[in-house]
Amino acid sequence: MAEAKELFKEFKIQSVSEFFRRNAAMLGYTGKIRSLTTVVHEAVTNSLDACEEAGILPYVRVEIEELGREHYKVIVEDNGPGIPEKFITHVFGKMLAGTKAHRNIQSRGQQGIGISGAVMFAQITSGKATRVITSTGDDKIVEAWVKIDVDKNEGKIVKKEKHPNPKGWRGTRIELEVKNVKYVRSKQGVYWYLKLTAIANPHAHIELIEPDGKLIVFPRSSEEVPKPPVEMKPHPRGVLTDDVYRMAKRTRRNTVRRFLIGEFSRISDKKVDELIKYIAALRLIKTEKDKAVQDQLYERLMNGEVDKVLRSFKGYTKVVKQVAKLMEKPPEKLSWHEAEEIVEAFKYMKFLAPPTHGLRPIGEENIEKGLKGILKPEFVTAVTRPPKVYSGGIPFQVEVGLAYGGEISSGFDLLRYANRVPLLFDAGSCVTTLAARSIDWKRYKVDDLERAPIVLMINVISVHVPYTGTGKQSIANVDEIHNEIRLAIMDAARRLQTYLSGKHRRLYQVKRKKTFEKYVPEIARALSILTGEPEEEIKNYFLRFIEMKFAQSESEERAVPEEVTENA
Amino acid sequence: MPKSKAVKRSQPREHFAYDPQKVLSKLEEYGRRVLEDIKSGKNPYFDIPMRGLGNVYFDEKRKVIKMGDKLSRRYFLNVAHARKFMQTLLIMSYVKRLVAEGKHASLREAYYANKHTIPGTKENTFEDQRESDPIIEDLERMLGVLREEMHLTADRRGYIYGDIVIRDGEDEFNTSKLGMGGWAVPGTVEHLQFVEVNVDYALVVETAAMADRLIEEKFPKKENALIIATQGQASRGVRRLIHRLHYEEGLPIIVFTDGDPYGWYIYSTIKQGSINLAYLSEKLATPEAKFVGMTMDDIERYGLKNVTEKLKGIPPNKKGGPTGDYKRIIEEMNYPWFQNKEWQRQLQLALKMGVRIEQQALANKSLEFVAKKYLPEKINNGELLP
Repeated sequence: MAEAKELFKEFKIQSVSEFFRRNAAMLGYTGKIRSLTTVVHEAVTNSLDACEEAGILPYVRVEIEELGREHYKVIVEDNGPGIPEKFITHVFGKMLAGTKAHRNIQSRGQQGIGISGAVMFAQITSGKATRVITSTGDDKIVEAWVKIDVDKNEGKIVKKEKHPNPKGWRGTRIELEVKNVKYVRSKQGVYWYLKLTAIANPHAHIELIEPDGKLIVFPRSSEEVPKPPVEMKPHPRGVLTDDVYRMAKRTRRNTVRRFLIGEFSRISDKKVDELIKYIAALRLIKTEKDKAVQDQLYERLMNGEVDKVLRSFKGYTKVVKQVAKLMEKPPEKLSWHEAEEIVEAFKYMKFLAPPTHGLRPIGEENIEKGLKGILKPEFVTAVTRPPKVYSGGIPFQVEVGLAYGGEISSGFDLLRYANRVPLLFDAGSCVTTLAARSIDWKRYKVDDLERAPIVLMINVISVHVPYTGTGKQSIANVDEIHNEIRLAIMDAARRLQTYLSGKHRRLYQVKRKKTFEKYVPEIARALSILTGEPEEEIKNYFLRFIEMKFAQSESEERAVPEEVTENA
Repeated sequence: MPKSKAVKRSQPREHFAYDPQKVLSKLEEYGRRVLEDIKSGKNPYFDIPMRGLGNVYFDEKRKVIKMGDKLSRRYFLNVAHARKFMQTLLIMSYVKRLVAEGKHASLREAYYANKHTIPGTKENTFEDQRESDPIIEDLERMLGVLREEMHLTADRRGYIYGDIVIRDGEDEFNTSKLGMGGWAVPGTVEHLQFVEVNVDYALVVETAAMADRLIEEKFPKKENALIIATQGQASRGVRRLIHRLHYEEGLPIIVFTDGDPYGWYIYSTIKQGSINLAYLSEKLATPEAKFVGMTMDDIERYGLKNVTEKLKGIPPNKKGGPTGDYKRIIEEMNYPWFQNKEWQRQLQLALKMGVRIEQQALANKSLEFVAKKYLPEKINNGELLP
């Protein structure tokens, strides 16, 4: 079987790079502009996450150097905790091996492919190793050139140097040389991406040096480092058979019952007893041959009539006992079919909503700071909705920020985020876009949304954001999320409306005042003729009177004076 | 040699009262009040009696339409009022200059004189004469001063002929010595003085044609009457002249109009005043005026049936009615001052007969008929309607 062996060998050799090539789109490497943005995104995200976990206020500097046609050097430097020497290959070289994969945690990053994907992209487009300079603040600075060993799916340091660190510098600087990309200041480019990142991360100071040498600074507007997210146990309504099956294999608990109680949220001893009845009922329903009766029974089960459903079968206690036994066996013995049964039963049962302490919204105050700091609007407001659950058990939370006027140019802009990460592509199908468009903006004194100087930012937070595609650039139109976004926007829009009506009123007051003032010279001349007093003096009396009345009305915040209708 | 028995001149009850100084002091008083208000930090205003049907009533005792006491307050500091407030003051100052300088201006002149662009805006002080005329009316009501006393005149209409001597400024003339056309009544009659009044009564005639006829037939001389031609609805000048002749000279006023709703309305306006100028009734109306014709009874009495004309519109008993003339007649029947037997009978008769009759219809008898027979007969016999 030499041939087969040969074939198999070849297949294995190409697997990782092949995977990368085939899934480049999934990882964000499509298109010349987007690929560059993705490289920057991976590096910046790593920097922000590292700073967050270390409790450091991030200072991130991105530099794009043009080396040739569609050939750039991307430099990202941060003041993060730095990377210990022995982890360098791990961080940059190994795909699918990040610290956050497989954890039920809200994360910026994707599946741990992030920065190693960027290193890979650099390597396959320019053939160059990624240069990493890092220090944890101790006496040495490590400079390493990292490549990925495609065969072994491992990081490989091709060259390494150590330098003294007399000033105690701490942080990480990486330099990637990439080809087949393009720097354009478009809404999908690096500039826009960093701007959006700065808005959603007001605690970060972000700088960008563009290829032409122009320095752009998105300064920090908040001094508070967000708390890193915490891991949450999965909620029974949010798991798939595979999750239960694999978790059961890994757990250290000694019975299925203990495993379910211990590794899931909202499952108690009593819930397991209930689960037994549901599984038994489901097994029994499946034995029913009449399809109509079966459907009826499913419906009754859905309504919580589990006991009645059970009693409608003869000898149901036997089945219940069987299922009860299942709960007492070691979890690693749990079969795929049993896991399937458990997950199916979960769908019929009622559970408390999942805990939401793992969600880390940006927060209203910080959204306002971010929008104010970067966009310099005249009005800003933010709404963070309380956490909600979609598809029965996946907690999520929606935040909305609304900025109006000031330096914002006219034309509606929607800034989309998922877990604080800007989404730059596939806006059309995104639930955020759909929800924002479904609002009747006229109701909120925004007569022409397309021409209004409005920036709306929407951040959807969840341990599991339901993206529509592999590109993770668009959030699926899930009813619960759609509704929450709408509610949040309407809340923010109401505040905008209040602001706008106040503004209109003030403009109106100014106009009113002018109405009176323009008549003063005429009145003064006439009164001077009638009374013989000097015109200028009369004019001053009137102007002073108007001034006084309007100052008064402003402090009283009400219209002056009582209007008496006059007949025409 | 008074011929008439029924119509007699009475004692004067009003005196020539035109005093420009009064107008000036009123204007100054109002201006000063505004100034005082603004100095003490108060929102200056004018109180202007409201116009319109809602603010008029019929004064039963004095038999005139009078203005009620509803006021509308026009503030300076009110978006809806500011412009009119300014306009009011502009016209006030203009009037002050006119009166002080002894000059008169027409309403149109007053409009143009005060129209200009407000500096720094694209707005004019007045955009239209329809803006300045109401302000002038407002002033009349507010100050209780006639437009004519403010030297603002309307177009003249109407003329007089008869043996009276009038002093108009530097001129003095007898209105029966000015030819067949008589003397045209000016817009303002306030300053006129009646030097001699050698007539027994004044006959107010609706149409110029009839007035001309009477003059040609020497009716004024023969009957010792003054002819006043209103030429349709009586102008303010004519009404004021009638009022003054009646109250200052004691002249009885007899009105001669067509026998139709319009003619009766002209009579009503001379006698009781009008809704529009209710605030001036005291100066314009002459409640003691009497009506000589045409009446519905005349048709029968003088055999004029073949010279009547049908009333316009749909009678009240027909579907869709009453409209047109019928409607007007029914309205007039409801006027408080037509609430007497004679008038109700006349109006009722008009409705029943469905006809109207013009003054000129009398020419059907002969050209002299009206001057020689119709009028002398009715007037000297006192066959007049109240």
